[in-house]
Amino acid sequence: MDGSSSSLADVLERVLDKGIVIVGDIAINVVDIELLTLRLRLFIASAQTAREMGMDWWTGDPFFSPHAANRGVEAAREPAGELEEQNSLLRGRITELEQMLGERDVAPVERGAQP
Amino acid sequence: MSRGLCAYAITREHVLDLAGLPDPEVRLITHRGLGLVVADVDLAPYADLDTDPARAMDEPAEDDPLVVLARRHDAVVRAVFERQPVLPLRFGTVLRDPDAAARLLADHHELASRELDRVAGHREWGVRARHARPVKPDDTPPAGLSGTEYLARRRARLAATEHTKRRGSEAAEALHAALAGRATDTVPRPRRSPALLLDAAYLVPTAQEPAFHAEVERQCDVGEVIVDVTGPWPPYSFARLELPADGRAEAITHA
Repeated sequence: MDGSSSSLADVLERVLDKGIVIVGDIAINVVDIELLTLRLRLFIASAQTAREMGMDWWTGDPFFSPHAANRGVEAAREPAGELEEQNSLLRGRITELEQMLGERDVAPVERGAQP
Repeated sequence: MSRGLCAYAITREHVLDLAGLPDPEVRLITHRGLGLVVADVDLAPYADLDTDPARAMDEPAEDDPLVVLARRHDAVVRAVFERQPVLPLRFGTVLRDPDAAARLLADHHELASRELDRVAGHREWGVRARHARPVKPDDTPPAGLSGTEYLARRRARLAATEHTKRRGSEAAEALHAALAGRATDTVPRPRRSPALLLDAAYLVPTAQEPAFHAEVERQCDVGEVIVDVTGPWPPYSFARLELPADGRAEAITHA
């Protein structure tokens, strides 16, 4: 145990990303604070992603996992078949919908045209 | 817009110990037993912030304007937390006027009271664990190995690595289970490094703190993981509310 310490990074992480958030009008929107918070969230999210990627570098490293390369090939093959299947299903749905639309003779409505 | 009401925390109505506060401007706006810790502040320093938070966290500089303001926020929250339960507010919460502050307390009276009861008598502790041994061993094979020797060596290294990794993970899991048993609540925290096996915050009743730290010591003695403890903190990680405010929407941007 390295003992108790409250590093600056820990303070920033807690103060900037934690705590009760007040949403709405009574809070003044200090634009740059919002931006900072957003950027911090993005940073934390990407750190999280990095960790997740880092956590399984074992399985991706051919030295530690000689099957990694093969798995990669299989993985690439399988979803391709799945995607093709989904693709044809979706095409079918689109054709169906186009037909329905044609039958009803509905004119396309512009988004936001209606209140 | 030059001045606003910076809000730091929700607490119970009490007489603020002004001596403990880093800023004499800090005061309490009260409503039916609740208090909102606020200060009239110049908003220009907030609006002018352009620090990259990622950089601030990686290369902390105490004189950075964001760091100065964040430290101040933490100092105010902590000063109140010394004597009363607090629900810290997110840094940069600025309210329009004292009426808005009172309305916030009125609108969320029940919820805020309940949350204050929940965190009362608790402190937050941060715990991080990482491997005590390097997981990736030095693997430069000595010259002159036969093919079979090389492969045997490599297999042994892989097994050792896997073993170290698994023991570390198991130790971190055991640690978390033990700590969670002493805590009222726990939340995982975003891990800043891939090497971390555990990064979590625990809301610990003060009476359980010796037992909580004893669990940390126990797991440290096993030797599989190195543990960093931070705290005690006000319950930042456990104030997870979003309070919607009713009424007119008014976004005031920095002029």
